[in-house]
Amino acid sequence: MFLRNIYLNMKQYRFLLQQLVSRDFKVKYKRSVLGVVWSLLYPVLMMTVMYMVFSYVFRFGDLMTGISFPVYLLTGLVMFNYISEATNLSMSSIVASGSLINKVYLPKYIFPLSKCLFVGINLLLTLIPLYLVILVTGTGLNIYHLVLPFVFICLFLFALGVSFLLATIAVFFRDMFYIYGIITMLWMYLTPIMYPIQMIDDRFQPLFRLNPLFQFIDFAREIILYGNMPSLRSFIICGACALIMLVTGMFVFKKNQDKFIYYL
Amino acid sequence: MIKVDDVSMRFNLGIEKNFSLKLFFINLFKRKEKTEKKEFWALSDVTFEVGKGEVIGFVGRNGAGKSTLLKIVAGVMKPTKGAVQTHGKICPMIELGAGFDMDLTARENIFLNAAVMGYSKSLIEEKFDEIVEFSELIEFLDVPLKNYSSGMVTRLAFSISTIVDPEVLIVDEILSVGDISFKQKSEKKMKEMIHGGTTVLFVSHSLTDIKQICNRVVWLENGRIKKVGGKELCDEYEEYMTK
Repeated sequence: MFLRNIYLNMKQYRFLLQQLVSRDFKVKYKRSVLGVVWSLLYPVLMMTVMYMVFSYVFRFGDLMTGISFPVYLLTGLVMFNYISEATNLSMSSIVASGSLINKVYLPKYIFPLSKCLFVGINLLLTLIPLYLVILVTGTGLNIYHLVLPFVFICLFLFALGVSFLLATIAVFFRDMFYIYGIITMLWMYLTPIMYPIQMIDDRFQPLFRLNPLFQFIDFAREIILYGNMPSLRSFIICGACALIMLVTGMFVFKKNQDKFIYYL
Repeated sequence: MIKVDDVSMRFNLGIEKNFSLKLFFINLFKRKEKTEKKEFWALSDVTFEVGKGEVIGFVGRNGAGKSTLLKIVAGVMKPTKGAVQTHGKICPMIELGAGFDMDLTARENIFLNAAVMGYSKSLIEEKFDEIVEFSELIEFLDVPLKNYSSGMVTRLAFSISTIVDPEVLIVDEILSVGDISFKQKSEKKMKEMIHGGTTVLFVSHSLTDIKQICNRVVWLENGRIKKVGGKELCDEYEEYMTK
């Protein structure tokens, strides 16, 4: 019944969703000369900067034997950038659409959802440079790459859950914009993106593994860097993290969405 | 068609928009009674019914609750008490062009805004030329909206919103669209829609418009219905207001 409602709702508002996503694309690339090429170039340039800093200054690259540090970095970065951009855009999506929500009845979940989808399409574009780096560094492909969509779906659902939660909080508590900026930064450094988790003191490693984002990244790295099938445990952890976050976010959002209008 | 049943709407003025961490901490240390919310009833116990094809005008001074009432009927807000039942597709013309993105061109905005209004893609593709023609903006179709004058923007918005025949049309102070020739054209279009059997809820401070269009008038005062009547209520209202 619930799923049927979602389906009918989706069918009715699919055109709107599509328009909102394409609006974001047009607005994002309209003014820049390189346009959509930036989606491909940006993660590569970011990786290059980080590669230089972390392999020549901090020498993290030396700790990784047998794997390519650029690929290690880029895998983490692509996934982190997705979460960070999707959640940040979604957080402001309800507030930014305030004037619209005030005038027309629209299902409000459509705004965070459209942002997560928009950034998701960007993520798919950034897979092009990722695979180029995988090939150029000689890391190579393997059959398990076919499993990767699973972790990207988990990442998307997880980001959507976080987005619903943040969008709700941001409506009532605008300070969240600043607070989340700091949280994102902290999250980036606490996730082993540019350093190996083995660098962390053994006592704290289990704590670092509680970070769902690390679980997602680890899952992808297991395939891309080591050519192994991730364990059944990894599958369950990733799926559970995504679903729990999504359900929590949806619950909070649904419970509060009728009150949004008084604060917009 | 529309049934508004004992609707009341409360706003908490005290918590409106100024909740912040600072206030949160201040309130933490304050005694409870000082943070007591200021309540404001924008609507109280409003009940009326609108039949199919009826055109109802709402009059009342600023802040009487007219716009709030229309927003509740449009489903934008949920009433604190009471319920609203509506049948059929509602087209809210509460503020035109709410869904426009100024960075996009008129062509792109037509699709975006149509999606916001809940029209389907095939419908809008079919009616696209009609919209453009009505708005008389064909040579500016691929210009970003931020380079439009405000009159041109409202013209475009009006053209999009009237292109389908909704079953319920909610109009809040928009008849003064564009220049004289477009105003006449839009009024004509509105009347066409009204005579086509659309149910209309109409808010305006122009009593001439209301007298011309509406067959029933609801007079709101401080969130309550003061009187319901025919067109003659306009004169009574005018007399009351200019007293």
